[in-house]
Amino acid sequence: MADQAQAPRPPQHDKYPWPEKSRLLGTRVSRIDGPLKVSGRAKYSYDIVRPGMIYGRILRSPHAHARLKSIDASAAEKAPGVKALLITIKPGDKVLFPGEEIGALAATTEQQAADALRMIKVEWDVLPALANVEQAMRPEAPQVFTPANTRKGTAQEDGDLAAGFKNAAFTVEGTYSTQVQTHTSLETHGCVCEWNGDNLTAWVSTQAVHGTREGFAQGLKIPQANVRVITEFMGGGFGSKFGPDMQGLLCARLAKAANAPVKLMLDRKEEHLATGNRPSAFAKVKAGVSADGKLTAFDATTWGTGGAGAGSDYPLPYIYVFPNRRRMHTDVYINSGQQRAMRAPGHPQGCFVTEVLMDELADQVRMDPMEFRLKNLPPLAPNAMWAKYFPMGAERINWKSRHVTGDPTPGPIKRGLGCSANRWGGAGTGARAHCEISSDGSVVMRCGTQDIGTGNRTIMAMVVAETLGLDVPQVTIELGDSNHPFAPGSGGSTTAAAVMPAMRVTAGKARDALFERIAPQLGVAPTEITIGVGTVIAGSKTITWRDACRMLGTVPVSVDGQWERGLSAGGTSGVQFAEVEVDIETGITKVKKIVCVQDCGLIVDLKTAETQCYGGIISGVNYAVFEERILDRNTANMVNPNMEWYHMAGQSDIPDIDVVLVDQPERGVIGIGEPPAVATAAAVANAIRNATGVTLRSIPITPDKLLTELERAGGTN
Amino acid sequence: MRAKNAPVLQGEFAGVQRRLVTDREIRYGPRTSVQRHCEAKQAYSSRMARKKQTPRDESRRDFFKTVGVGSIATAVVAGVRDADAQGPAPVGPGDVPITLTINGRRHQLSVEPRVTLLDAMRTRLEITGQKRVCDRGACGACTVIIEGRTYYSCSMLAIEAQGKNIRTVDGLANGNTLHPVQQAFCDNDGLMCGFCTPGFVMATVALLEKNPNPTPEQARKALDGNLCRCGTNIGVLKAALSAKGVTRG
Repeated sequence: MADQAQAPRPPQHDKYPWPEKSRLLGTRVSRIDGPLKVSGRAKYSYDIVRPGMIYGRILRSPHAHARLKSIDASAAEKAPGVKALLITIKPGDKVLFPGEEIGALAATTEQQAADALRMIKVEWDVLPALANVEQAMRPEAPQVFTPANTRKGTAQEDGDLAAGFKNAAFTVEGTYSTQVQTHTSLETHGCVCEWNGDNLTAWVSTQAVHGTREGFAQGLKIPQANVRVITEFMGGGFGSKFGPDMQGLLCARLAKAANAPVKLMLDRKEEHLATGNRPSAFAKVKAGVSADGKLTAFDATTWGTGGAGAGSDYPLPYIYVFPNRRRMHTDVYINSGQQRAMRAPGHPQGCFVTEVLMDELADQVRMDPMEFRLKNLPPLAPNAMWAKYFPMGAERINWKSRHVTGDPTPGPIKRGLGCSANRWGGAGTGARAHCEISSDGSVVMRCGTQDIGTGNRTIMAMVVAETLGLDVPQVTIELGDSNHPFAPGSGGSTTAAAVMPAMRVTAGKARDALFERIAPQLGVAPTEITIGVGTVIAGSKTITWRDACRMLGTVPVSVDGQWERGLSAGGTSGVQFAEVEVDIETGITKVKKIVCVQDCGLIVDLKTAETQCYGGIISGVNYAVFEERILDRNTANMVNPNMEWYHMAGQSDIPDIDVVLVDQPERGVIGIGEPPAVATAAAVANAIRNATGVTLRSIPITPDKLLTELERAGGTN
Repeated sequence: MRAKNAPVLQGEFAGVQRRLVTDREIRYGPRTSVQRHCEAKQAYSSRMARKKQTPRDESRRDFFKTVGVGSIATAVVAGVRDADAQGPAPVGPGDVPITLTINGRRHQLSVEPRVTLLDAMRTRLEITGQKRVCDRGACGACTVIIEGRTYYSCSMLAIEAQGKNIRTVDGLANGNTLHPVQQAFCDNDGLMCGFCTPGFVMATVALLEKNPNPTPEQARKALDGNLCRCGTNIGVLKAALSAKGVTRG
């Protein structure tokens, strides 16, 4: 491309830049906590057992919208084993979604707690509820939310829409939609709370130990200094676990009231109902394209629901350049649990709507969908490399073998290819760390970050080992404790970019402090000392790391450091290609292969970075063809609050995945957790369209939808 | 055109794919392999009981009421004999003493009859390797191996598991030396958050003890009873296909 100017090398850190030639960074290192996790020795919050611990359970609203008439917990209070009981609702109060917390109790065993919960007599005035956006948007809908069931967003407008449509040779109009999905973290939300006088220790399944400490302190009105949050291992969060939540505060209060440690982990149903979800998205779009394949105009009215009183906005149009555009969004409230950030919030929705539209527009101008995309991309930039990545991915999926829309092969199995692009930020700041080097050569790095399954612990150890010339197992990483130096929550793919610079700087400072201390004994100036591999080099003398550390005597090196500029960046780009086989007799889609070309700045651990991509892609396949929260249209109760009817891909549903990670070492570290999860659903939807010749503007693309659409199109045979 | 018998699901169950829905499944949810196994076992034991001319065809629920304390094998016989002699002797609802053999160690504990094997291990014995995730036989995080085959320990009662050799992920490693399957999971990055991992490891061990050299198709099939949310399945499959040195069980 013409505007592919050589990007200037971004400014690097002046004292501790990433090494030009690295020994460990970018190699494949196995997770350092792998052995603990595969042997069951890793203790998650769910596994914590404290002396005298009892079990808490939450009382929840069974109704979507109701006013409490009366509540009688006297029988439950006297039930066997019950040690504490809290009611957080009073007559006259309203609940706004099924599963809303109205009380809690703790008993000696889980079974006793469940029994006692059933003894609480609750009487409700059931009020009319809104179970879906259609119901909520009807003019005659009951007003459930104040001031209204909907909230208008601000209009976004750019260019001259009328002129844009005048210049269009073709237009496409359609309504696109995506479903609500729930996070379905395997470890449910919850914690173990233990009081020691006025001090609270909480083992919480959280993505933010420091944020959760703050949440406990605010919710319980105690000083943050009195709270310690520990999350050594946690079983997935995907954006839904950033604070103590209601269950954490109730657990702490139960523990106080019962004067005993309390474990309160939610069950699967509660997890689906009350701990967040990805909002649905709807978009009524009209878009125009000129005869030579340039996008001219985009006009969209969009809406979606994030549940009871929560927003549902998402970026639209996504990536491609529509010079003239207008977009108007409306948040629609329904009586269901509130949305929370979920793996690239907003992006999969915006990507699906835009990318399916792009394929339809390409067909209008009879262009290859990839060529059409290349023609309408923003200029190349380090964080906008789609024009380079599309041909790379096309090569690996064998894009040349693509037929035009509708597989002409006779027989029920239709094959198709599709593509799409994604972008994400992934910058991070603010992490602090503390490093100790002892006289026996051991290195401990402490940081109040957490490893939510991404491999954070492992890449931290790699950066420290690289900086000190050690092997990864020689470094001890301590994290997941709010008593460690502050680090931000793990969300928005920011952790790597926030924590790795802190590791580099802190380990670098510790190395310099070590040189300072041992220089007199070595008889050289500190500046003449360098790090080898497992060695310290002072002029012509080379001594082992252990011998160097031995010179420290009793007092270890102990330094603090933090994130500094010049070691990380933000902005990633990637493309994905999908190959599918659709059985048009059964409507079942089999995703055969996904190709992913993705950048994430400097790659720290190639192995875990690839696994992040696999994981994101699999979640995208789920979003495309499997998972959906289904609410009963009369009661707004979820009909699939479990894991057999809330469908997720099993091992046989997993496609072949081909990941190409593009290393950009000059940019520093950028997060990779969310980017690969964005584009998959759109690529799969486009591949299904290419295979069957019918356009599905709604995910998940389930057999019923596909067969209905095929029927409407008169079949394909 | 689509085939006449193609499964089209509508209404509340639109969106459901992969299997045909029976009335029973709509009412009770799909049957898991464990439930199917239990039903088959129950059918077998009631057939056997009929052969021994017991006075009644005991349903699963009645069965628990009549089971005496002690191992399940002797309890079946004892229950039948008691039923002959003096009618059912109810067990529970309070705690009953039981003995579980887990990873070669005998544990004596007392639980209510309704406590699952998973909960008994996790909350009474602090054997927390297997995880509680769906608690209804859909996700496989609680997979244990009993006499050579996998079971969802959330769908088996602790009192049912007496007298059997129960294996969990906690007992696989030999000190600090990982079992070949555990090592393969580490080497192939078949784990992320690690919460599904113990279940996947046990399912893989059970597979390889039966079939040390599975085809990819066989491995996928054997692991279909386990779900992962992080998306580690690529590494898991590589691990299952590359683990070497698992002795036939």
